[in-house]
Amino acid sequence: MPPVTASLALIIFAAGVIAGSLGALLGLGGGVFLVPFLNLVLSFPFSAAAAISLTTVIATSSTVSAGRAGKQLINMKLGMLLEVATAAGSFLGGVTAQFVSQSLLQRLFGIVAVIVAVIMLSRLRRRNVILDPAADPGVLGGRYHEAESGCTVTYRVKRLPLAIAASFVAGNVSSLLGIGGGIIKVPVLNAWCGVPLRAAAATSAFMIGVTATAGATIYYGHGQLQPALAAAACLGVQVGSWGGMKFGAAASSKWLKILMAAVLIIVSAMMFLRGGR
Amino acid sequence: MKLERLIGIVLRGGVIVSSACLAAGLLLSILIGDGGVAGILLNAGIIVLLATPLARVVVSTVQYVSDRDWRFATLTFVVLLELIASAVAALVFNRKI
Repeated sequence: MPPVTASLALIIFAAGVIAGSLGALLGLGGGVFLVPFLNLVLSFPFSAAAAISLTTVIATSSTVSAGRAGKQLINMKLGMLLEVATAAGSFLGGVTAQFVSQSLLQRLFGIVAVIVAVIMLSRLRRRNVILDPAADPGVLGGRYHEAESGCTVTYRVKRLPLAIAASFVAGNVSSLLGIGGGIIKVPVLNAWCGVPLRAAAATSAFMIGVTATAGATIYYGHGQLQPALAAAACLGVQVGSWGGMKFGAAASSKWLKILMAAVLIIVSAMMFLRGGR
Repeated sequence: MKLERLIGIVLRGGVIVSSACLAAGLLLSILIGDGGVAGILLNAGIIVLLATPLARVVVSTVQYVSDRDWRFATLTFVVLLELIASAVAALVFNRKI
């Protein structure tokens, strides 16, 4: 690890701002951009990059969920149930990461980056909404008021075992690779489990704080987390995601998604080149 | 809903305290170097950051127990155990056992 200097802290802060604003604009965490920047551009060990990224995931989750709590968009019961699976996956991933080689993690990141790019380009927008507000959402379903359409959205959760399995995999990948894992959970919850997109995204953002904590604690205990650099990244991501949410609504996200998918495919290729050595 | 509001307060409080510690620690470590107060502030910021989701799970467990919602009290308690397990793993790696 390089020593902490003012210029390094500034570079990481700036990377955090960019990753955080891209994350807010695209509706995913910034980790998928931050990890390759730290690992490939600044040549940090993969585990150090993942550890820093996980702390930014926690900061984003807490900030975003604090703002949303009480508005019923977060399905807390579903979130707390799925956390059992995602925290278990994350714990196992955090322990596994201490024993596998950097090149294996880089190749795994390369695979996940391609999957993220494909999901981003072909994102399903099925809404699975029961429009009758008197319908019974069940124990795990939810009901929230949608501001722009002015109606109350009610939904039931379907295929719960699939949601649990996806959460376990997301938690595992999250702490192995330093990303939030929402990119795996949100499409599954939305496309197959009946959860409307906005509720799925809010619930996933709520859960990833716990997921990333299980992984980050292990990296921190092992001395792989450099606190000053994590501080720079966390503060940068906070500023970036605030900016992204504030100014993002005006920008068309279609071309941004295509651009970022291209970036991720390049990242994937670079990870394979490094990992193959 | 009471629990949601409580969770909102816990998360917001954790973010404010940890961001303040991290920002102050980062500035100090750049101005006067790592170690000393800067190191304490940075590590305190990281620990508060990591403890915030944990505190949110604890608050949920307590609330579900007091509501006698045993199903969700159990689920949140299992999540709490998983977080404790990762803290134990962190200590094991820390001593390089």
